[in-house]
Amino acid sequence: MASLLQPNRVVYLVCGEKKIRSPLSQLYFCRYCSELRSLECVSHEVDSHYCPSCLENMPSAEAKLKKNRCANCFDCPCCMHTLSTRATNIPAPLPDDPTKTAMKKAYYLACGFCRWTSRDVGMADKSVEIIYQEGQPDRVLVFFHVTQEKYGLGTRLQRQRSGAPISSLAGLSLKEGEDQKEINIEPAQALDEVEPLPEDCYTRPISLPEVTTLRQRLLQPDFQPAGASQLHPKHKHLLMKRSLRCRKCEHNLSKPEFNPTSIKFKIQLVAVSYIPEVRIMSIPNLRYMKESQVLLTLTNPVETITHVTLVACEEGDSDDINSTAKVIVPTKELVLAGKDAAAEYDELAEPQDFQDDPDVVAFRKSNKIGFFIKVIPQKEEDEDVTVSFKIRHDFRNLAAPIRPSEESAEAVPEAIWLTHHVELSLGPLAN
Amino acid sequence: RMSEVNKQTAQKCAKIAAGAVVCVESEIRGDVTIGARTVVHPKARIIAEAGPIIIGEGNLIEEQALIINSYPENIMPDTEGVEPKVMTVGTNNVFEVGCVSQALKIGDNNVIESKADLGRNVILTSGCIVGACCQVNTCEAVPENTVIYGSNCIRRVQTEKPQPQTLQLDFLMKILPNYHHLKKTVKGSTTPVRN
Repeated sequence: MASLLQPNRVVYLVCGEKKIRSPLSQLYFCRYCSELRSLECVSHEVDSHYCPSCLENMPSAEAKLKKNRCANCFDCPCCMHTLSTRATNIPAPLPDDPTKTAMKKAYYLACGFCRWTSRDVGMADKSVEIIYQEGQPDRVLVFFHVTQEKYGLGTRLQRQRSGAPISSLAGLSLKEGEDQKEINIEPAQALDEVEPLPEDCYTRPISLPEVTTLRQRLLQPDFQPAGASQLHPKHKHLLMKRSLRCRKCEHNLSKPEFNPTSIKFKIQLVAVSYIPEVRIMSIPNLRYMKESQVLLTLTNPVETITHVTLVACEEGDSDDINSTAKVIVPTKELVLAGKDAAAEYDELAEPQDFQDDPDVVAFRKSNKIGFFIKVIPQKEEDEDVTVSFKIRHDFRNLAAPIRPSEESAEAVPEAIWLTHHVELSLGPLAN
Repeated sequence: RMSEVNKQTAQKCAKIAAGAVVCVESEIRGDVTIGARTVVHPKARIIAEAGPIIIGEGNLIEEQALIINSYPENIMPDTEGVEPKVMTVGTNNVFEVGCVSQALKIGDNNVIESKADLGRNVILTSGCIVGACCQVNTCEAVPENTVIYGSNCIRRVQTEKPQPQTLQLDFLMKILPNYHHLKKTVKGSTTPVRN
């Protein structure tokens, strides 16, 4: 059943500033602190900006100057899809000889999804292939700049505070030499007299295609046109690549490559490559107060042998708030073979001899084992049966400096034992 | 192929105009009239069950498109007193891949995009574009130059009608006979398809 493999079935607990329960695939592992980290306990930093449609990289300074928008790509103001440039042939008089006409190419913008064209708003076809938007004063930016100066958020120093939310406006700092002057914004004045409504307000039929939707209107906050014939295309927003940094030791946990077309990472300290992963394989019918056997799998991500011990949560464990069933875990230590990428091609490999107890270990396949736990649901309600236990495994920190020992020339890093709290959601009771 | 069609009465065979390119792998059943310069791709299906279908000129009917004049749901085929309704399709329409059209009246210059679904009671006027995967089964005449798009079938009016696919039609009329056999009309002298 594919639903058993859903990522939110098995969650690991992260003890950071906040206790967060999250699937292992969404967590990071700081191998300097030897702790799990979630997205909420790392600091996010912008690495680079790029346009999602033309994949052009843009340095941060240039992005700031262009208000985080791409110069070449446009968004449809009607459906927010990317606009494409189309060409038509129009007869145009030759510059040398006005009496003769030749076919010249004229370019206009068109949306493939909602069939909006730049001719709808009256933009003339351009003879140059790249159509640049005429410069329009950005009233929104002026307003933000003013508020920032007024409330003192303009300096870069404030951004160094790790953990504080980084406002997108924090980069807008004043140039050297300019004084920070207080700009007084006058509060809006309430007026008694308002502009009267037009006379045909009640009798004029509404042309619905002409009225813009709220979303279309608010995407252009400086003009907010009410009529569809005033909806001009906007330059496409840039996306950014971010890097993550552990807040305690300031090491990078995730650093993407600079090239927008590359999906690889320079540094990728994700939890699934360091921590053994528990997954649910099969669940029998669960009945209230009856013991059932659930089959789980444990996968070893590293290349060395890993020893795993499971411990049930004690009474009064402060992390154990969600479990609705008692669980009996195997008492013996489980041994996981290392991940060997070449194992499937190596025919002469000796089969591993681990002498598994068949009551505990159901099967073994390279770096994965299937094992049984016994579950006794304690609550008769309709919600999912949840069990939790602690998983304790040895971790060899290959990043830490190795102290050369006198006995062996090849120093093996010492193993430390890590414990994680795991919660599994086993689904509802069978009826 | 044509001999099988000859078994039925003269009313029930396809009348394909000279100049139309209808591939033999397409399925045409019942009383169907196809105008000149219309291209019917292989695996397109035009089924006139509950009445004749008249298709105009310059249309482009792509693969797996289904144009069907079927009985309404609550009427059995054997019911007496049911008048066969004629389904008309105008000129320069495009039926993209996989669309289903049961609309009884389709005007000119419409585009029915891939996997769109038109119900029996819709009337497309002219210049309408029914977006991909949009199901339109209301009982209305869609105004001219309407674009129906999006998962919620929202609409907007465009200022110009869609361009007729003359370039594409010319290209297909040249290329398709090189790779497919064509259906020709039964009666009269068979005029060869112009290349």
